[in-house]
Amino acid sequence: MTAPATARQLRLREDQLFLFLVIVIGVLAGLSAVLFTVAIEQTSNRLFGLAPSKLRLFAIPPLMSVVTGVLLAKLFPDVRGSGVPQTEAAYHLADGAIPAHVPIGKFITGVLCIGSGHSMGREGPSVQIGAGLASVIGRWFHLPPRRVRDLVPVGAAGALAAAFNTPVAAVLFALEEIIGDMNAALIGSTVVASVAAVIVERSILGNEPLFHVPAYRLVHPAELIAYAALGVFGGLVSLAFSKTLLALRGLFLRLPARTKMFQPAMGGLVIGAILIFSPAVMGVGYEYVDQALNGGLLLKTMLLLCFLKLGATIVSYVSGNAGGIFAPSLYIGAMAGGAAGLLVRRIAPFPTADPGAYALVGMGTLFAGIIRAPMTSVFMIFEITQDYQILVPLMVANMLSFVISRKYQPVPIYHALLQQDGIHLPSAATRAATSGRTARHIMRTDIELMPPDRSIEQAWEWAVEHDAPEYLVGTADRLAGVVTRAQLEDWRASDKGNHPIVSVLEDSFVHVHPDHPLDIVLERLSQTSGVLPVVSRTEARRVEGVVTPDSILVIGDRPHRRTPAAGSG
Amino acid sequence: MSSTADLPRDTAERATLIHREMLQLTALVIVAFIAFFVTRAVARNNRAVSLRNASTWFSQGEQLANAGRLDEAIAAFRRAMIRNRTNRTYVRALARALAMKGDHDAARTILLTLRESAPEDAEINLELARLAVARGDINESVRFYHDALYAPWAAAQAETRRGVRLELIRFLITHGQSAGARPELLAASADAPDDVAHHVELARLFAEAHDDTDALAQFRRALRLAPDDDVALAGAGQAAFRLGQYPAARRYLQRTVQDDPATRDARELVELVLSRDPLAPRIGSSERRRRLESEFSYAEQRFSQCLGQRGGNLSTPDQVKLQTEVQTLDARLKRPATLDQDTVESGTELIDRLEREVVDRCGPPTVRDQALLLIARSHGTDSR
Repeated sequence: MTAPATARQLRLREDQLFLFLVIVIGVLAGLSAVLFTVAIEQTSNRLFGLAPSKLRLFAIPPLMSVVTGVLLAKLFPDVRGSGVPQTEAAYHLADGAIPAHVPIGKFITGVLCIGSGHSMGREGPSVQIGAGLASVIGRWFHLPPRRVRDLVPVGAAGALAAAFNTPVAAVLFALEEIIGDMNAALIGSTVVASVAAVIVERSILGNEPLFHVPAYRLVHPAELIAYAALGVFGGLVSLAFSKTLLALRGLFLRLPARTKMFQPAMGGLVIGAILIFSPAVMGVGYEYVDQALNGGLLLKTMLLLCFLKLGATIVSYVSGNAGGIFAPSLYIGAMAGGAAGLLVRRIAPFPTADPGAYALVGMGTLFAGIIRAPMTSVFMIFEITQDYQILVPLMVANMLSFVISRKYQPVPIYHALLQQDGIHLPSAATRAATSGRTARHIMRTDIELMPPDRSIEQAWEWAVEHDAPEYLVGTADRLAGVVTRAQLEDWRASDKGNHPIVSVLEDSFVHVHPDHPLDIVLERLSQTSGVLPVVSRTEARRVEGVVTPDSILVIGDRPHRRTPAAGSG
Repeated sequence: MSSTADLPRDTAERATLIHREMLQLTALVIVAFIAFFVTRAVARNNRAVSLRNASTWFSQGEQLANAGRLDEAIAAFRRAMIRNRTNRTYVRALARALAMKGDHDAARTILLTLRESAPEDAEINLELARLAVARGDINESVRFYHDALYAPWAAAQAETRRGVRLELIRFLITHGQSAGARPELLAASADAPDDVAHHVELARLFAEAHDDTDALAQFRRALRLAPDDDVALAGAGQAAFRLGQYPAARRYLQRTVQDDPATRDARELVELVLSRDPLAPRIGSSERRRRLESEFSYAEQRFSQCLGQRGGNLSTPDQVKLQTEVQTLDARLKRPATLDQDTVESGTELIDRLEREVVDRCGPPTVRDQALLLIARSHGTDSR
């Protein structure tokens, strides 16, 4: 057989193998999600029983968090939090490579954290477990990196479809959130995996929807105003959640590294205290979402649960436990929406739907505002209700919430969480630039950084020796910041000469990543004084090069070669 | 599988590659199967725990509801329902607790949702009907009662089904829907077992629905089974009395020892009607004259008293005409000749008109007034 014929045959075999793996991964991801759900319920049952005492409620979260703290610090350091951002990072920046210990660690720590009462969701971890399984299987079969990468959203979609019993929303979530492209070529694979996962899930758990919701509808056209107000309220609550979570997490990240092992227990103590006051915020909390959807909670209760759940979820998440924010966003939304529905019913001069309808729309609203996946949100609610009637109010409220959230928190929460960890995902524009030159092609790598241990006076002397408009301060592995000559002069003039240079540097600085296309590079360069650092996406403080105005002049001198990384995102 | 970039160089290498892949695929499928069965076993175990918990919550909810702690009962029923959604008893218990608390809308919503999955479930429809009754929605009540009645019932539940129909009938009667109740009563009587209690119950309901003919028929069926049943005797007597079957009414009322006001009044009236009727069959002419004179005298006296109460003047042309007719009859009765049938009938008719004038203008009738009116009505000589 000739070489081209062999290549064609192998490519065909590779496609067939990929399709087969997609089905098997869908099945396994679905099974993992079901097992994860069941394990959380069993753990919670065993730890708390039917009617736990106050002592149990208070003691179990911190005690269990001591165990998970050790696991998360020593054995599974990369499985804290949701799992969705980590999956996105693996997809966009690591060719889909997720180490085998990640799904295992996520399963164990997720079960312990959520089962012991931490206010977190199971969907995010399920996504990471499913994606992890897909990645491990892909690499076990020695698939090429691009194929391994393609399996990540497949596993994620399968797991989410089984975890939430919403196959369409799972596909959309994989496209909208993980891949970041609704037109991705992987749509067929994610659909197949999602269907396989849901078949498996339903064959084990039955064809029961996650929530039993009456057929709600728009009772009066004027109700759209109330739903719009709910959208605005939902957008503001989403903002409050995202901003507070990110701010507090930033504080926790600045704590000394040796405290990392104890941070989950610190969060556990707070959660224990909250559970004494209101056990309803425990764990995933879908039982109470169901009650809100069926009009089973009072106004005061729903308002209280809305804010308690918001606080509890933030505490559980920022203290480094393993669990997601998907379910809490639905919970908070259901409570906020249900409360709004009761208020509207009391004051509206027109007939209104049951408060449960507002709780349903509230769920989508908070999901759209926090997770920022509006299409997933709309289809998820549709799949839950199986009713088109509620879609119009849902879309109105979702879009308002989404717009408000995006306006005041431009970086979506999953991306912001990654940025706090020093990981910068490529934007849609960057991903779209799959051809052409990037920062990698024009950056200089022979760079000299200003040592970070200098005082401002010493830094000035260093600057005089190295004549440049702007200097990078730090080491190649840890860029502390960027300083200009003018800034150094100002600080010297204000008697700060003895201050360490790192103490006056701003925490953020303009930068690009190696895969950024030239138009973005030029735009960012124009915002600097002439030196634009090029930093790694996976470690945003590691300098890979710099771009200066001189770099632009070499365009055309260097031959252009596409690299795998540039092509990937 | 290797990427196409590094192609295997010879057939042996390709065979090794394919062999390895086949082994891997087989292993993966085996792992998937094992994982499926393990997960299913764990999920079943979890489901069993969940069902047990649901049952515990349900029991707690029932205890709390019985103790009147409705809010806690509702919370417990909700927990039971969430853990076992397929158990309709839990949902119905929740709806009942909500209804007891007065939250009819929530109860209705829950039951309607449940009904979507089982539109022909008699008990769900019955709960919905009862909720509609509590809300005073007659149309919806009747609709859900009918849905419940015409749902498939097990043979062992025939008694329950009859109870539901009787519940509907009582609801219709108390809401003034006698016309709607009568077809249900006929259906119920066709379906009723042949025992005294059922016949008496149906007869009472027929009577309440103003169907005295069927009421009497049911009482008679009861009396065929238990000739001395006191309740049936009293009921039959009253029904026969209302139907104007005074001899039959007397027979029943004489045999009953019941002495409630209705029976007592009926008994007294029946006796008066039968003993004072001038048109009664099989009485002699002298007795007929005596009865006519006696009742006419009483009616004339009542009329004069009434006029006296109202100032003694004949204020309407009718009263003037009545007065003239009274004088004419009075004159005729003073003659000793035998009274012909026309005179007795016209006399009875005049007594009726006098009594009616008295009743209309001078307040509540005496028992004898009522008897005289009934006598006229029973012979079709009443003035209306």
